[in-house]
Amino acid sequence: MLELRLVQGSLLKKVLESIKDLVNDANFDCSATGFSLQAMDSSHVALVALLLRAEGFEHYRCDRNMSMGMNLNNMSKMLKCAGNDDIITIKADDGSDTVTFMFESPTQDKISDFEMKLMDIDSEHLGIPDAEYHAIVRMPSAEFARICKDLSSIGDTVVISVTKEGVKFSTRGDIGSANVVCRQNTTVDKPEEATVIEMNEPVSLTFALRYMNSFTKATPLSNTVTISLSSDLPVVVEYKIAEMGYVRFYLAPKIEEDEDETKP
Amino acid sequence: MLSLRSCYCLRPITLAHPQFKKLIFSNKPPSFKPIFQNFVSAMSSRPSAFDALMSGARAAAKKKPVNSSPKKRKALDSLDPPPKPNSSLALDSTPPVESQCVSSTSTLDNHGDPNLVKSEEAVDLGETKLRQDDGGKFGGKIGPVANKKCASSVQERTAKLKSSIPELKKKAKDFNSKQFACWNEGERVPFLFLCLGFDMISEESSRITITDIVCNMLRTVMDTTPDDLVATVYLLANKIAPAHEGLELGIGDASIIKALSEAFGRTEAQVKKQYKELGDLGLVAKASRSSQSMMRKPDALTITKVFDSFRLIAKESGKDSQEKKKNHIKSLLVAATDCEPLYLIRLLQTKLRIGLAEQTLLAALGQAAVYAEKHSTPPANVQSPLEEGAKIVKQVYSVLPVYDKLVPALLNGGVWNLSKTCNFTPGIPIGPMLAKPTKGVSEILNKFQGLEFTCEYKYDGERAQIHYMEDGSVEIYSRNAERNTGKFPDVVLTVSRIKKPSVRSFILDCELVAYDRGKQKILPFQILSTRARKNVAVSDIKVEVCVFAFDLLYLDGQPLIQKELSVRREHLYDSFIEEAGYFQFATAITTSDLEEIQKFLDASVDQSCEGLIIKTLNRDATYEPSKRSLNWLKLKKDYIDNIGDSLDLVPIAAFHGRGKRTGVYGAFLLACYDNDNEEFQSICKIGTGFSEAMLEERSASLRSKVIPEPKSYYRYGDTINPDVWFEPTEVWEVKAADLTISPVHRAGVGIVDSNKGISLRFPRLVRVRKDKTPEEATLSEQVADMYNAQKLNHQNNQDDNDED
Repeated sequence: MLELRLVQGSLLKKVLESIKDLVNDANFDCSATGFSLQAMDSSHVALVALLLRAEGFEHYRCDRNMSMGMNLNNMSKMLKCAGNDDIITIKADDGSDTVTFMFESPTQDKISDFEMKLMDIDSEHLGIPDAEYHAIVRMPSAEFARICKDLSSIGDTVVISVTKEGVKFSTRGDIGSANVVCRQNTTVDKPEEATVIEMNEPVSLTFALRYMNSFTKATPLSNTVTISLSSDLPVVVEYKIAEMGYVRFYLAPKIEEDEDETKP
Repeated sequence: MLSLRSCYCLRPITLAHPQFKKLIFSNKPPSFKPIFQNFVSAMSSRPSAFDALMSGARAAAKKKPVNSSPKKRKALDSLDPPPKPNSSLALDSTPPVESQCVSSTSTLDNHGDPNLVKSEEAVDLGETKLRQDDGGKFGGKIGPVANKKCASSVQERTAKLKSSIPELKKKAKDFNSKQFACWNEGERVPFLFLCLGFDMISEESSRITITDIVCNMLRTVMDTTPDDLVATVYLLANKIAPAHEGLELGIGDASIIKALSEAFGRTEAQVKKQYKELGDLGLVAKASRSSQSMMRKPDALTITKVFDSFRLIAKESGKDSQEKKKNHIKSLLVAATDCEPLYLIRLLQTKLRIGLAEQTLLAALGQAAVYAEKHSTPPANVQSPLEEGAKIVKQVYSVLPVYDKLVPALLNGGVWNLSKTCNFTPGIPIGPMLAKPTKGVSEILNKFQGLEFTCEYKYDGERAQIHYMEDGSVEIYSRNAERNTGKFPDVVLTVSRIKKPSVRSFILDCELVAYDRGKQKILPFQILSTRARKNVAVSDIKVEVCVFAFDLLYLDGQPLIQKELSVRREHLYDSFIEEAGYFQFATAITTSDLEEIQKFLDASVDQSCEGLIIKTLNRDATYEPSKRSLNWLKLKKDYIDNIGDSLDLVPIAAFHGRGKRTGVYGAFLLACYDNDNEEFQSICKIGTGFSEAMLEERSASLRSKVIPEPKSYYRYGDTINPDVWFEPTEVWEVKAADLTISPVHRAGVGIVDSNKGISLRFPRLVRVRKDKTPEEATLSEQVADMYNAQKLNHQNNQDDNDED
């Protein structure tokens, strides 16, 4: 038996919106400690890891560990039927092949039940270790989204380099090139507007902007984003979900190309 | 060039351990190893594998201006200190980590890592599943060992597969499938096995050798994982479903280009440019080197995985279906290694072109079944069981062209019972029987000497096979087994009405003809082709259709195709009631009088028919599905003064027009199709029969099909130097005065002359055949037959003259 009651239903909606374009089908794993998901995109370039800890739910009951395969687009369709202030409850019986989403309006005068078929997904689950990163950048998430969006109108890839000067996002395309440098800035009124750069070693890595832009769909979840880089690791773009957990996106870097790339 | 991809491998590591970096960068391409041997040795003294990898990469990057090898950067992975090529899992440097993982499973939960949350003891069923997942996911208790074994065997297997693949060429009796297979019984057959087989077939031209290879491949699958045989056969046939299901992959070049660019992290422009250079997206895929590293290399492809994905792709429909299809392709591409991308793309385009004809596949399937026979021994009177087995499979396939039924029946009941276990069933169309062209009434009398025969009008409409099932449902299939039920709802109503009430089920062979009920007149084919193609509503129908029935293949649960035409026709006349303008029997006479036939022919032409079909009645008069049989002959009104039938040919190249024709193409190079070699063979240049408008229209439509170089499967003389080449897309109906042997053209080369082909004299365009695909063009075999028939006729005429 599984019953998870989330007062802040809109949160779940936002979570789904942030990952459904990257991943089509995924297994949601429920255990006594939390509700989580890990999945790779179809080209195995990006990985998304979601965690909603049990403490964040108003009511959390999970008798047995469960893994529920869902089509994220269908799930998103159902969640769109919930109002932004609705309380969402996720219910499933042990061994059942369906999951039920229950939406309660804040005034309790309307209760809707949506039942969705589960699917069998053989996913590859990867162990994600804690790593020490060469550089960690924390910045306002809206700022990051803006940069990615702007750069993608110029080129397809972004080079993220962290030096003691700051963090530089640059791209190059047919029409020209662009560089955006963000400097450390902690003297702001609100802590979430700060840009904080911790750096042990300078790094510079190239990524496909397409993925970065897809990650920024998680911007509504958090005011800040943390980007962790090491020259030998996939980048981690993390959006913290207040008091509950996080959505983390991992992205494998591009290998720098020779100019004569098209020639075999 | 080989395709390379780098990938990150995330592995289960849970305890902090200074020596081991947490993410392991691994990769495979064995073929580049020698090039980078220097790197390997230079780097191997580094403290950790991972450092070596990445710094190797950086070193390579820095060296860029010096080192001109364009491949260097991709070789990161080959720097793996324990040089184990082709590993898709990063096991090389991880064993100690794995053991940690095992010991640490109980301390996982506090890390907040999603995958670590659920490593408790499994209790019930639901969790058993979870635990199994865990094994694969993050190396649970059994995981690491099993995984390791599997991984090393993956590389070994690839190597072994590659080294042993030439064995497939062995004569079947010397071939030991059990020894050959490097996967376990019941394990999914690797896709690479199929691709290596394709590779081998494409280098063979002898049909016997190809049959042996395919037969050995099929036997290997049968003896190890018979469950995979259906998928294997479908992929070998480059099909995804029987024709009548109408399931198509529906993937355009654009989708493939997109998928390629996204899967390999390249821009579409780069892919397109390379496509222009190589002319084959399969080769582009093969040559694509990825600039995008991966989180983890996906598991190796299996035949079933590929085939299932293909069916999924075909079934995607509606909104975003192109996007979904592209994603399926992408996930196949990223998992493909070695020559797999090449064949993956060609299969997706349904342009395999390795010279494997379906008849060869069927023969190989029959032979393989004979070798694998466990269920029964061949009947005592069979002289050569192999040939007999091949014949049975071909015959059964002609009446039941559905591998999903045929293959399991073959596996379960054996080849000798196949004709009993698989039979003709309503709802599954069979290939219609076809007629051979003849040139005159006298020729018919010659061919049918001493046989009783009948003449029928040859109506100018659309051939249709109407299936009426026991439950009252009706399906109409075209000549190509496409489901046309939606196009003729009026015919569905008609057949249900005109059948006698006692009739429960039937399959009718007939011609659907446009008909003017007011004037009681047959209308030309061109009118019929103006009808809408899909989801026609009865109320919207403007072109009325009359059914002209001429054969009955199945009646009340009994197949009739083995019966003589006289019997079938009797059943036909007994089972239906004619209704003028809706359903009529084909007008027929039974006579052997030359003059009477001539008159009947003239009458048929007066009735706006194409001519006559002449059929044997009693002897050699069974229905032979999909065969162009000598027992049916066609005599068209316009055969008589020229070479007989028109030809359906494919324009493959053109010459720029001059003078009046400046700006359009002045002449086109036409080709017929060779089924055995899967190639287009040039047959003539054509420049007449075009109206100005027509020429402009054809030039415009072909201009978008221009390709920079002739396809590898075009055969043409070296002296033809066309200005542009085309994709094979259109089919033109062409008439000609005469067939001659030509040193320039290549149609039917090797059939009538060892190195000369056949050419057409005075060809002229009749119309564009929109209903045929290039592969359905006139076959080189048919061209050769026509040439031989013409030669014979000329001789006959000369003889006649001499006697005179």
